[in-house]
Parts: sequence; structure tokens; C-alpha cells
Amino acid sequence: MFEMNIAIRHIRSRQRQTIFSVIAVALAVAIITISMSMLSGFTSYIVDATVENQPHVTVSPEEDEDYIYLYHGLLNYIRRQECVIAASPRYQGDCALQYQHNVEGVVLYGINPGDETKILNVEKDIVAGDFMSLTGPGNRIIMGSKLAENLEAEIGDAVTAKFPGSKPTDFTVTGIIRTGTQADETLAYANLGQVQGFYDKGDIITGIGVRVLDIYAADTLAEKIDYETGYDATSWMEGNREILDLIDQQAGFAYIFYLLIFAISGFGIANILIMVVMDKVGEIGMLMAMGTSRRSILLIFLFEACILGMMGVIIGSVLGYVSSVMLASYTIPVPPEMYFGLDHLPFLITPKNFIIAGVFAMAINIIAGAYPARRASKMDPVEAIHEV
Amino acid sequence: MTKMIEIRDLTRIYGDGAEVRALDGVNLDIGRGEFLAIIGPSGSGKSTLLNQIGILDTPTSGRILLDGVDITKSSEKERSRLRNRKLGFIFQYHHLLPDFNAIENVMMPLLINGVKRSKARKIASRMLEEVGLFDRMDHRPNQLSGGQNQRVAIARALVNSPEIVIGDELTGNLDSRASDAIYELLRRLNREHEQTFILVTHDEAMAAKTDRVIRIVDGQIVEDSG
Repeated sequence: MFEMNIAIRHIRSRQRQTIFSVIAVALAVAIITISMSMLSGFTSYIVDATVENQPHVTVSPEEDEDYIYLYHGLLNYIRRQECVIAASPRYQGDCALQYQHNVEGVVLYGINPGDETKILNVEKDIVAGDFMSLTGPGNRIIMGSKLAENLEAEIGDAVTAKFPGSKPTDFTVTGIIRTGTQADETLAYANLGQVQGFYDKGDIITGIGVRVLDIYAADTLAEKIDYETGYDATSWMEGNREILDLIDQQAGFAYIFYLLIFAISGFGIANILIMVVMDKVGEIGMLMAMGTSRRSILLIFLFEACILGMMGVIIGSVLGYVSSVMLASYTIPVPPEMYFGLDHLPFLITPKNFIIAGVFAMAINIIAGAYPARRASKMDPVEAIHEV
Repeated sequence: MTKMIEIRDLTRIYGDGAEVRALDGVNLDIGRGEFLAIIGPSGSGKSTLLNQIGILDTPTSGRILLDGVDITKSSEKERSRLRNRKLGFIFQYHHLLPDFNAIENVMMPLLINGVKRSKARKIASRMLEEVGLFDRMDHRPNQLSGGQNQRVAIARALVNSPEIVIGDELTGNLDSRASDAIYELLRRLNREHEQTFILVTHDEAMAAKTDRVIRIVDGQIVEDSG
């Protein structure tokens, strides 16, 4: 196609301008896709961490109480609800664990392994041993990976649980769990009955974890339980409202930031293309004198903008992808408390992000190219020819 | 001789405040195959007249007929088409596209006309041969001398076999030897292809060598040797 050939030839002959405009687009696309991948990774990590690592609904004791006393009826009530998949009773208590000369503070969860695995996918974080081992005979305990490290205890070792008012009790380590969060330093699971025995307060619990069919219906269920039973029920969303709002806010800021980057890149391109058009005034006049229509002139420069845009998008996407992959594989020594318990930068590389970035970049290119192209097509051939 | 160009009462006025009558009621007939010069002092309107005949500009009032077609009443699309088919331009500056080599430049009017690439290349190389630059066809403008570039521009102007060739001070940038060579070339082409040549110049010597001299002053024709 005639106009396309001229556009391609312009681009091949003007190397400096071509390189500059391609770099402008490529950098914008690269920065934005890396940033989007990081944001996606972060968001996905947070949602995973909030939704998948805690019960959808947590039922706690009434206002001034520390325990739920007659919990069997409550459990049945909850399990009867339509949207409920499973409910698991828990006894959570603090204690100290000792192994040889090491002592660590621990949050001890007494649970029924069968119930607990139905509300949370605990088994996926097990790195040694087996979660269901807690159903075996004797006192068994599963502990967090960092906790085990600090205690220097391994599977098969017996650790001693101590708490003021309770008889020191030995638990055999039958599993290690790694959640990737701070909890690994203090988490321990044991059988509900054995924990109840240790604290010796009878058959009571401190809370119930519930899993529902639709995570976005968790709110409604929590309200219902609260209203109908008087027990305090909170959904995962309530408990994480701040984080979720923060994520939305961050995403909002990020998008504004991206638009600004694209705008800057667009101005850069428009500038370069205006220069090209000004350089070629004489050519444009001559092309018109030879019978090229104004529409064709417009197309020539629009094609130039498009081709440069495509080149920039492709190079930028490749750059963004490679950088994201490299950054994702690099584990950064960040203290967990500083970054929501992460020990590496989370990246989620999805085609969707790259496509969105690419489409926006092309749109900016075409818009940026439209003004110079229009100016070129609206020139007076007589003036253009005699300007040289 | 059949009438190629008929100009009736052509007037071109510039400016809103201070009016400039670049052309004032010009009447002129030019026949097919004529080889003529339009001469006049700076600002006389000779370039304006050329731009009108060349369909690069529109008059304020009056009519121009090219080969019977009233171009003042044509659409933008029709004007572009006529410019491509019926006219060939040669300016003082060659205006070759610097990103293309000689033969590609000469092919341009043919490609605009929709001629197939291979056929355009053949016609263009023949044209370059006629102006004596066949062996330089792969050179870009920055690799050719001023005179050579002007000859490429001439080849380009003629490649579509236009009926009217317009030259605007086309030897202005050249030394006398190159100017003479260009003149001889144009004369030969005129004799061989029977195209109408209209040369605007301020060079009295060159004007005298043409078949007809039209002298223009202050937007009006004061002398016409034809």
C-alpha cells in the first residue's frame, strides 16, 4: 500500500527519531507492565492470605465472655445453615513450649483435624509429617517451621507445654507447617480434647471457624449468627476491611500513575512526530503537487505513529516480561513485619495486564500522532513547496 | 493547435486588510505542445499564475479550463487526480524525497496513480535513461549533484506523460552550463513528446530562446509574443 510504504521508508531512514520514539513507548510499557504485575501479585497474595488462611466466618464468645460454653448446640445450628460447608470448633490458648534448653512463646490451637481441614486447606502448608497425624494416640503437636527452628526440635521429639495453672504436658512433634507468614514463629496445632485437658476448664471452646459456599455471602451469614445467637460473628471481609480498602486505594493511585506515564510518553511521541512533519514540509508539498490526496498524507503519518507504537509496545512488553520474571525469582531479604509477612516481592504475570497496557499504549500513540498528521494534511502545497 | 489551457478573467486577491491583487483579470490561451516562457519582475504574479494553472491554488474569481475541464469547479479529489495525470512540476528546488533513491523518486507519480510496481519501475528507468542518469538510479539525492537532482526531478515530472509541464525558476539554483543542459533537455523532450511546457523565469536570455514569451507586470499581461 502506497502510504504504508512511504511511512515505513520514513521510519527506516530517520533512525534517531525512530529510536527515540520507540524508547519512549517501550519504557512506558515496560514500567507499567512491571508495576501491574507487582500490583496483581500483591493483590492476589493479600486476597489469598485473607480468604484462604482464615475462616470465612469466625464465631467468638459473647461480649464479656472468654469462652463459648455450650458449643455443641451452636455447632449444629451453624452446620444446618444453607450456605455453610463446614464448621470447626477451636480452643486457642497461649502457652510456652520447651525443648531441652529452648523455650518459646506459642499460640496453641486445639482442633479436630477432620473438622479443621474442612474449613481451611491446612494440609497444603504442611512441609513435614502429616496434619491428620493429630488424630493418632498420645499427645501430638504440629508446629510452625520457624518455631521448630527456634526450639531446635524435629519430628519425633517431645516438647513440653507449660502454662501457669496447668500441669506441664509433653507433646510429640508429628508435623511441621509453613504458612509463609509471621505465624510460623508461634503457631502450634494439637488435638482439641488434649488441649482442653491441658487447660483443664472442661469441654469449652474459644471460637468456631466456618467455611461458606460464596465468600461474598460471608457478611450476611455473620450478621445472621450474631443476631440469632448473640455470639459475636465476624466475616473475613470485616476483619480485613482496612486491607481491602487499602488495596483498592492503591490500585486507584496506580492507575492514575499509569495514565500520567502514558500521557508523558504520548507528549514525547507527539513532539517527535511534529518535528518529523516540520522537517518534511517540502516533501509534503511535493507529494501534493504530484497528486497525493490530503487523506493519503494523513494516512502516511498516522501509519508512522502506529508502526512506531507497535514497535514500542512489543519491545516494552518483552522488557517488562523479562524484568518481571527476573524480579519475581529474586528473593528479597525483607523483614516480614515490614511487608505484611512476605519474604519476596510477589509478581503475578498475566496476559491480561500486558494486553491492557499494549492497547492503551497504541491508543496514546494514535492520539499523539493525530495532531501532527492532521497538520501535515492541512498544509497549503504552495506554501509548503516554497518554504524550503 | 488545439487549446490546452483557457484562462478567462482570472483574479487572485490575497489578504483581508491590505488587499493584494496578485492576478487581475488575466485572459490567456495556451495550445497543445507549446514551449513558452512567462517572465516578469519579482511580485508580478507569475508564480501565482503558475500555481493557478497547476491546480495548487484556487482563484478568487474567473475560470480556468484544462483540456476542456473547468478546474475551478472540481472537487478536491478530482483536483488531486488531475494534478497527478495532467501536470508535471519542476521547481527551483528539486524537492526529491530524500529517503528514496533516484528511480524510486521517479516512480512516485506512477505509484500515486495506482500503476503496478514492476511496470512503474520499467517506465521510470526509461525516463531516467532519457535524462542521462540511468547508471545513477540507485543513488539518493544526497549522493547526486544539484544538476543531477534537477534532472531526476525532470524525469519525475514527465514520467506520467503529463500534457502540461510547469517549471518555476527551475534553473535558479544551477550554474550556466547546467542551465543550458537543462534547457536543451526540455526542448528535446518537448519536440519528442509534444507536451506543453510553461517555464516561469526571470532569465531574459532563456526566455528569448522559447517559442513564445508572456510578460506579466502587477498581475496583468503586458506583452504576449504568441
